[in-house]
Amino acid sequence: MTRDYQGNDMIIAKNVEKIYPNGCHALKKVSATVRRGEVVVIVGPSGSGKSTFLRTLNQLETINGGSISIDGTDMYDKKTDINQLREEVGMVFQGFNLFPHMDALGNVMLAPIKVAKRNKADVERQAMELLTKVGLQQRMANYPSNLSGGQQQRVAIARALAMKPNIMLFDEPTSALDPEMVGEVLDVMKSLAADGMTMVVVTHEMGFAREVADRVLFMEDGQLLVDETPEAFFDNPSNPRLQQFLSMIL
Amino acid sequence: MFAQSNRWFWHGVFIAVLLGMALLIQSSSSHINYNWNWQVVKPYLINTDPLPVFASEEGTISANATGDLVLRTDAGDEILNLSAYPELSVGEGDLVFEGEQLASQPNWQMGPLLKGLVVTIEISIYSLILAIILGLIFGLMRVSSNVALRNLAITYVEIIRGTPLLVQIFIFYFFIGTVLDLDRFTAGVIALAVFSGAYVAEITRGGIQSIPKGQMEAARSVGMTYIQAMRYVILPQAFKRVLPPLAGQFINLIKDSSLVSVIAITDLTKAGREVVAGSFAPFEVWFTVALLYLVLTSSLSWGVQRLEKRLAASD
Repeated sequence: MTRDYQGNDMIIAKNVEKIYPNGCHALKKVSATVRRGEVVVIVGPSGSGKSTFLRTLNQLETINGGSISIDGTDMYDKKTDINQLREEVGMVFQGFNLFPHMDALGNVMLAPIKVAKRNKADVERQAMELLTKVGLQQRMANYPSNLSGGQQQRVAIARALAMKPNIMLFDEPTSALDPEMVGEVLDVMKSLAADGMTMVVVTHEMGFAREVADRVLFMEDGQLLVDETPEAFFDNPSNPRLQQFLSMIL
Repeated sequence: MFAQSNRWFWHGVFIAVLLGMALLIQSSSSHINYNWNWQVVKPYLINTDPLPVFASEEGTISANATGDLVLRTDAGDEILNLSAYPELSVGEGDLVFEGEQLASQPNWQMGPLLKGLVVTIEISIYSLILAIILGLIFGLMRVSSNVALRNLAITYVEIIRGTPLLVQIFIFYFFIGTVLDLDRFTAGVIALAVFSGAYVAEITRGGIQSIPKGQMEAARSVGMTYIQAMRYVILPQAFKRVLPPLAGQFINLIKDSSLVSVIAITDLTKAGREVVAGSFAPFEVWFTVALLYLVLTSSLSWGVQRLEKRLAASD
């Protein structure tokens, strides 16, 4: 896919190190750059650090070394307000993590009202638009317990989009879904990509990576080993570890 | 059909056991020659003794223009119309002196036991509110990542849970109450609140920790501060989960409030003790006191159950 990147880097991660208190060395000098409008997919075996890396990008995990900057703002600068930075970075989780005590509309409206302090009527209109966009106009008053996994994940995407982020992070968004529901979530993600959203996606959906991604990253054992276009990644893998990984999953 | 008849059988057994116990109480009290006299308790609950109406000045009773009996002073001023009182102890033409009883007024006053109940309710409500505030603050401190806050909360909970409430009430009254010049009611309320607060803090901590980590992460990822995430996402969910244990704790609080009678607060228990001394009907009075506590605690647990049902809407 070709897109207008407008020349600026949205995410710059340099030599990111993560060592958990139990001594587990989860990220080893991981460096990556994501440009505006780019869709980057991260794949790798479980425990390779790909989710951890994604979570460092909105500081759900703090890092022990290196630097991360989001849209030109250094995340670990003392003057940076992390809450403000997070407003620009939407996140979608494997387990949806919808707020169970609120209906779908309430989930989407909470942050814009309480965090961005926007006008309630405006927020409601926008939330209804977003839920319509993800195909849930009939489910706005449903509580999460009355929604299927695929519907919950689409609400979660709408919730993240409600803060008008510039970047969307997806942490295995389809891994907890029944197979017949994977498609509906991927479709929403594809339309987001088509709208020009900057996205970083950790997933096992190789079809999605090949079809939508601008670049595919391969991580193993806390290291970023491959950063290629989908064609080079899937058709001519040069890295032996990647070849081994692909032979197991494809 | 079979299961149905079986059920009725066990209902019957339940009632039979209750009746048997009542009979046992009856027979054992007759064994010690105790005369049950429930009438004695009534005036200690509601006092219906008529209130006397006294003459404020000396004068004569006479009829006025509309035919009502009135008290007139020697100067001829009408100072009291007696038509409002159903029971008169004077008639027309009587000479009365200052302070003489003219009539009696029907009266409806709380007896000492009901007054004690009101005090118990007051103490319970004040200390319950205070306990919720303390419990919430210390519960949040307990789950904080700040070591100082966390250790303070642990210390509070351990000290309070490790010492008897009776001793705490004495300390609050005799030491802290003296130092800060608190009256006995305030000291009692604070002692109860601090005691219950420790348990509420533990319940709060459990409730917060029972909410999946993903909820906090999701809330933070949309830009909420820790406090906003707690307020809008974690605590509303935790509240729903802690309602049952919280209700149990509040019932304990009502029952434990009986201990403040040791610092001479006339709550329901102390009123009961006083009434027993005056009425010589210890069995009836203590059973009544127990029943009043039971009414209080069961209406609380009924209220909490209603609340639980209403909050269950999203499940």
